[in-house]
Amino acid sequence: MRFLLDPIGLATLAALTDAATAARESGLDGIYLTESAALPSPLIAAAALAGRVEDVLVAAEITLGDRHPLEVAEEAAVTDLALDGRLILVARPATDDLSRFAEALDIVRLACAPRPFRFEGNHWQVPANLPENEWLPEEQVRLMPGPPLPRLELWTAGAAARPLAIERGLGHLIGADDDPGAGLAQLTKASELAPRARREQLTDPLALVERLREGREWGQDWAVVSAPASAAPDLGSIVRPRVQMHKLSPGLEAFWDTERPWAQ
Amino acid sequence: MGELDRVGLALWTMQSTAAGPGLHRTLYRRFGEDAQLADRLGFAAVWIGEHRVWYDGWCPAPLHALAYVAGLTERIHLGTAMYLVPQHDADGAARTLAQLDELSGGRLELGAGLGYRDPEFDALGLQRNQRGKLMDANLDAIEAAWAGAGGEQPPTKRPAPRIWMGGMAPQAIARAARRGYGLLLPQTLSLDEVRRIVESYREQGGAAPVGMLREIWVGEGGERHARRVSLHLTEEAGSWWAMKDSFGFAAPEQIAKQVARGVSGIATGEADAVAERLRDTLDAGVDHLAVRFAFEFVEQAALHDQIHRLAEDVVPLLAGAGA
Repeated sequence: MRFLLDPIGLATLAALTDAATAARESGLDGIYLTESAALPSPLIAAAALAGRVEDVLVAAEITLGDRHPLEVAEEAAVTDLALDGRLILVARPATDDLSRFAEALDIVRLACAPRPFRFEGNHWQVPANLPENEWLPEEQVRLMPGPPLPRLELWTAGAAARPLAIERGLGHLIGADDDPGAGLAQLTKASELAPRARREQLTDPLALVERLREGREWGQDWAVVSAPASAAPDLGSIVRPRVQMHKLSPGLEAFWDTERPWAQ
Repeated sequence: MGELDRVGLALWTMQSTAAGPGLHRTLYRRFGEDAQLADRLGFAAVWIGEHRVWYDGWCPAPLHALAYVAGLTERIHLGTAMYLVPQHDADGAARTLAQLDELSGGRLELGAGLGYRDPEFDALGLQRNQRGKLMDANLDAIEAAWAGAGGEQPPTKRPAPRIWMGGMAPQAIARAARRGYGLLLPQTLSLDEVRRIVESYREQGGAAPVGMLREIWVGEGGERHARRVSLHLTEEAGSWWAMKDSFGFAAPEQIAKQVARGVSGIATGEADAVAERLRDTLDAGVDHLAVRFAFEFVEQAALHDQIHRLAEDVVPLLAGAGA
């Protein structure tokens, strides 16, 4: 199980830096930035954090399917370069038109591979080959620069996007109240190892442990925990150690509960 | 006000070319290091360009590169020269610009350009010949979003970021004056042309600052630098520039003429000689110098040496110019 801290409501660079640092210091994998009125561009925030906090993954959840997906892919590639490969791009359908989202998702995937591509869809054609653009007509385009690692880490979010994620072997984030069984239980070969994440709340650390153990039953291997930076130590010392293994040595949890070694 | 307040550094492009290859993750990290040095020395701004879908990986998302730099610096302003406004989605641009300005503490300087490469427009499904209309429509949408139109909260509580119109065409000057923007002029203009443009801009009511790109090289190596700039421009013009009825390398004489014009603007020599050329530019009515010696073929140590020489040897000699 891996952990991303979503410091919901934080929008200043100082506060986001503190949250990412707290996540790292508690051994969490990274932070998760969700688009909101206070944080209109999580990718910009991710790029701004790149040089301020080392090591942690930075997930940016954006909407996809409204503006041109090539533009989104370019922004993700540059942000991932600044992050030296630490970006997780999480795409949520911008509208109810799932066919637009599916095409956008495929354009982002194609664009992030190190080869020229051509895409002919119902919503986008890349390159468009408009007759008015007379100079140097192209059959294919190449996103330059590409992301730094062999692949961009691309997830989807939102129940509607789930079948698309499974089909394509992409990571997928479900909501705290979504039924994980529908779809995720019938994983194809292509996606059996793709990240499966769920949004979690942190009220009581041991209650979250129980929930994550239950999550493991349907394959959950990432937890996106909405919590303030001050919750990072509990996540790191109480929750994370208890959900990594299939089972722990008898007596270990009782030892932790009694001695609370992290508090000594 | 110190002299450095009117001097910025240009132009980061993040290119990895045949002449100056580099791993892009290295180039972005170095941009951060370069900007930190400029920030420490007190320069007013760093400027980055935008192009897309070309082999050299010229930065297609300059606002995201600037966001990275914003996180690493304290006070230096973060400029685009140019952000190709017609090639971006207006709503997305408004959100992105507002976020960058907010996270950077109001340090964004938005140089706005039209773009000119057909393959860039075509990749995005846009017609190059609509770029003027797209420029106005997108700027309208961006400004409306910043002003909080439609009953929404303004995305930023700060004053709207400063916008600089790129280019030298009469339409660009008129657009800048009409919309209350500054001007950001290319390095290829003669002093007479600069004077005429500034005069025309002021006559049309333009009241914002006028900036200009100026290429320099201080001390030894000026000739070699100019030769390499010439090759850099030749590659760019040969690959990209549409002439009257031919394209790029098919028009070698026109390219040679344009390149010679570009190279003639490079101020080389010792600090006093370079300062003299920059003083002339300020005297012609320019308020901000975006000084360029950063190219992909200039190694980082040489680049930092030039940044130091500019700050310590050249800029103090600008005192009193353009008063």
